[in-house]
Amino acid sequence: MYTWDFFVQELVNGLTLGSVYALIALGYSMVYGILKLLNFAHGEVYMIGAFIGYGVLTVSGGAGSPMFPIWLLISFMFIAAMIGSGLLGVVIERFAYRPLRNAPRIAPLISALGVSFFLQNTALLLFSADFRSYDTFDLGGGALFVKGIHEGPLNISLIRIIVIVTTAALMVGLTLFVSRTRVGKAMRATAYDREAAAMVGIDVDRVIVVTFFIGSALAGAAGVMVGLVFQRVYHFMGFVAGLKGFTAAVIGGIGNIPGAMLGGIFIGLAEAFSTGYLSSTFYDLIVFGILIAVLIVRPTGLLGKADIKKV
Amino acid sequence: MKKALVFALIVAGVAAASASAVQRSSSSPAVSASRMAACTSGQIGFLGPITGPVAFLGAEQGNWAKYSLDTFNAANGTHFTLKQGDTQLNPKLALTVGTKFAADSSLLVTTGPAGSQEVIAVGPLFKRKGLPYISASATNVTLTQGKYPTFSRVVGSDAAQGKSDALFMVNKLHAKKVVIIDDQEAYSTGLAAAATAVLKANHVTVQRESVNQKVTDFSSLVTKVPDDARVVFLPWQVAANGQLFADQMKEQGKSAKIFGSDGLDSGDFTATGAYVSSFARDIHGLPGTQAIIAGYNKKYGTKWSTFGPPSFVSVQVAAMAYKAACADGTATRAELFKNIRAVKIPHSILGITVSFDKHGDVPAAKFYVSIIQSGGKHKLVG
Repeated sequence: MYTWDFFVQELVNGLTLGSVYALIALGYSMVYGILKLLNFAHGEVYMIGAFIGYGVLTVSGGAGSPMFPIWLLISFMFIAAMIGSGLLGVVIERFAYRPLRNAPRIAPLISALGVSFFLQNTALLLFSADFRSYDTFDLGGGALFVKGIHEGPLNISLIRIIVIVTTAALMVGLTLFVSRTRVGKAMRATAYDREAAAMVGIDVDRVIVVTFFIGSALAGAAGVMVGLVFQRVYHFMGFVAGLKGFTAAVIGGIGNIPGAMLGGIFIGLAEAFSTGYLSSTFYDLIVFGILIAVLIVRPTGLLGKADIKKV
Repeated sequence: MKKALVFALIVAGVAAASASAVQRSSSSPAVSASRMAACTSGQIGFLGPITGPVAFLGAEQGNWAKYSLDTFNAANGTHFTLKQGDTQLNPKLALTVGTKFAADSSLLVTTGPAGSQEVIAVGPLFKRKGLPYISASATNVTLTQGKYPTFSRVVGSDAAQGKSDALFMVNKLHAKKVVIIDDQEAYSTGLAAAATAVLKANHVTVQRESVNQKVTDFSSLVTKVPDDARVVFLPWQVAANGQLFADQMKEQGKSAKIFGSDGLDSGDFTATGAYVSSFARDIHGLPGTQAIIAGYNKKYGTKWSTFGPPSFVSVQVAAMAYKAACADGTATRAELFKNIRAVKIPHSILGITVSFDKHGDVPAAKFYVSIIQSGGKHKLVG
């Protein structure tokens, strides 16, 4: 049973899941890096992104009879979800976090939880409690699942390849943005020392807005990916995904962008291999056991660095 | 005119059923109309997953519950109201809401909760407080083995379901190897255990797996399904999870048949060629249901599954017991419990006689097996 094909199949399963976790983790990590805020509404932003993608798909005729070629339709879904989620992130920052920026750290945390419940229940009200399905199997006669690598017991569908490649492209893009652009440099400066950044003329508010936009846009992209691969979307989907994304951010070293990516992939792979090789019953226990062990060895996460404070 | 006729038919049907149903052991003394009216204006509880991951189920059960009570009130001149409590299919929440219900001395009976794990959570409390409760979907075997004496249900138990499902796999699907995956809830593990026992007794190899119902990706688990497995049995509560599992089976080219328990018997699970069992059959076409279905569809729409009608019956039972208890102008929880166990609906909308044994089970309840055809249509096969 435990053949090479089995290993590769579980690897792909883990990478797909890990890609989603990584994109969500990036939002957590970026916001924490700049504001030292745990944005617990981030899972719900991802959920809204999935619904925006679903909306675009539906308006475009649905999976059964889309009015655009598949690649164009999927591009529209990603663009709309990323812009919509990005703007939602900006609105959340403006109305729920900015007024509390100088409040004790617990206050924005509670505000974040409030926004999370607000968005979840708004989605319940707007979209009802029904599960909605992207019905990706109907898209192009199932091309996204039929095409790909199908060799014997090994089945890597096209959609999984798209998800993994898109995630890699987004991560590379983000890394280049943060390391090569002026805004990226401003983000790093703000993350390092917000007050000093403001003193040297960096518009900190603008940097924070950009950070929320990018982090939320990536969550929106993750929402569409989940819709495309796992098909169903519903108002409660952000809860567990948000939790896993947050865990990924912590394990990678919260505040550290490559760490968030690594943490997401790490959790995805750990889940897949635990289920495949050890026990489907206790995979959460196994995964979180590994994570605890990692944090004991490296309390700041895989790539995190300890804060050094002069006294 | 047509609307009035439909409503009149429903009212007449329910009135006739109610009139013949409760057999009281003693005649009630004459009571004033005002006392009677006050008594029959009480509340009937409804514990269900109104929000949360299976809110669709709560919505359906809740709508059928409201419809049942409206119909009963119109037919019997009563003014019972429904007190709703949201459990999200979560035992902790069920206990929180159940505590409020139990503490409300004006609440004498409740319907629900939906899940077996929730019944286990609230059971000891309801026992202490003497609160009778009737579930329309909790099927775990242990619930009617004496630990929860005020519990009743209008659907069959998993002992019957597990056995009938397993025998179907052996006799009709000729399975030699079956993968059983529970969703780590009491309902699911109980049903998985019941089916496992029967399969093993019939020399079928069983591979047991388990997955949390909040999981959103089953790819890794699907990869573990061996190629020689004939059937994958999913005793799950979230039908959309079953659909995702079926899609991922297809994606990985797995050919095993999926067999879902009653939890997958919903519009969210439409995998062509899969089998599902259900604790209630599709009531369309059953004698005496036409007017009730028409009335429901008019008010709440046509999207409902086999989860709704048992909720209708559970409220009907509660209301009948309540009305009977009010014959002397007052009612207590003890009286209602006694009356629930005395209820008899010879021609319920479920197509069976609804009455209860001393444990709270309906002796006539049974499970049905259907195959899902293209377009999601079900064909009864067992």
